Amino acid sequence: MPITFSVFLTQLATALQAENGPDLAFLLRPTSPHGKDLLKELRSPTSRQQLSHYEGSIEGPWDEIAIQYVLVTSHAAKKRPGEAFKEQSTLVSLFFRYFTTNSGWTLPALFSILRDLRDLAFDADFHAKYNGQKSESMEEAARIIAKAFGNCLTDRTSPYAYSRKWGVYYVVGLVLKCYFRVKRISLSKNILRALEANDIPPLAEYPRSHQVTYRYYLGMLSFLNEEYAKSEQELTLAFYHCHIEAHSNQERILTFLIPLRIIRGHLPSTDLMQRFPILDELYAPFTAAIRTGDISGYDAALNKWERRLVELNLWLTLEKARELCLRGLFRRVWVAAQKGTRIPISMFHSSLRISGITVDPEEAECLVANMIYKGFMRGYISHERQTVVLAGTNAFPRLADRPTPFAVL
Amino acid sequence: MSSSAASTSKPAEKVNEQTKEEDAQPTLGVLEEDDEFEEFAVADWDDSHTDLAHLGGAAPGSAKSGGDKLWEDNWDDDDIEDEFSVQLRNELAKTGKGDKDADAMQQ
Repeated sequence: MPITFSVFLTQLATALQAENGPDLAFLLRPTSPHGKDLLKELRSPTSRQQLSHYEGSIEGPWDEIAIQYVLVTSHAAKKRPGEAFKEQSTLVSLFFRYFTTNSGWTLPALFSILRDLRDLAFDADFHAKYNGQKSESMEEAARIIAKAFGNCLTDRTSPYAYSRKWGVYYVVGLVLKCYFRVKRISLSKNILRALEANDIPPLAEYPRSHQVTYRYYLGMLSFLNEEYAKSEQELTLAFYHCHIEAHSNQERILTFLIPLRIIRGHLPSTDLMQRFPILDELYAPFTAAIRTGDISGYDAALNKWERRLVELNLWLTLEKARELCLRGLFRRVWVAAQKGTRIPISMFHSSLRISGITVDPEEAECLVANMIYKGFMRGYISHERQTVVLAGTNAFPRLADRPTPFAVL
Repeated sequence: MSSSAASTSKPAEKVNEQTKEEDAQPTLGVLEEDDEFEEFAVADWDDSHTDLAHLGGAAPGSAKSGGDKLWEDNWDDDDIEDEFSVQLRNELAKTGKGDKDADAMQQ
């Protein structure tokens, strides 16, 4: 039996009475089956006036929210994402009136309407761009979602278990997703500062989906701010706490985590790479080159993937990781010289030449000096004798043992 | 007029060449620019649905030496035998300098 608008209003009132968050979320979702019924009954209205006689039919602001819901659904069905987005913005603002005066039982509904808001903003901007028009729906969505963040954070009255603060990290995830989409990443600072300045439950007590999304974006922000140690830490936790069936999310985390871990001296194992063939295709040439000191192989990989790495902001990281490959090459010279402690600089120069890298002997000496300076090799250069004098033990420390691996960046 | 038309036509050709080159760049499926971190299908889950499950108490990311088989931290190989090793050893023998210099320094 089709759901009529008056039944819909009754269902809303019942969900409110019972404080049933998931039901409320379901009722406000434009894709729920009752959406179509309502459009049929009300003949796909497109303006508030057409429905104004329903105002006052249930407790405010829910009469207006119900009307907004019909308008959003109507525009979305007619493929007018710009209008649907505007009506959803109004719906969310009306919802805030109720949300801020109640405990967190409505959080499932908040999450759902904000997610729809962001999706509609995405469609609206996409649609406008396709038609050569300007649209800033995603910016607007970010502003509204940031307001929801404030409304969650400032709950000082609800009991702990029902605090609106339990919505904080989910909403932060959505705001950051908007900022990344519109490339306004610097705005994230305000959000992170507010998180630090307020008393909220520990992250580990939130649902895993909230934790993982938050850590992913925090890891990405740290990466872009060149705080690599922090980035590696957050992305590692994001990866290990991620649901293994959320494959593309794990893949996204690893896209940035793998280069950071390579720099730490931890190469992804076959076990790991078999699960992510796309990443294997991208990174296997780099890790193979690092293992064997194959500097020309490394350069070929850099060259092959240049455009994609630049797009992903990973170019610089992999270009710096080339030093690990060079260390591998020089280590092979040392192995070929039977791990002697005195090796002529000309041998390091030759190793580069055999690899197809043309440099002056002075530059080769300079490269060795740099390796020693950065702790990749232990020893010193006797410039007069043109000889590298290596430490008798641990001349090439394991890469994983360096105390500050990210210093090379 | 005609000269400006001629001058604009050339860069256009170049752009075309460039796009062709870029088309040859391997694509990376989900790593395309428009891709985003996705909503999770469920809100919460326990360790058995994560990569923590294989760790058996090891710290995440501790690598093989610490009990995490997803990362290798001991991969320096002293026994690579390939064309490059041969060339390197030939080079050493050719110069023969390694030993001489070492002797000189020890004296």
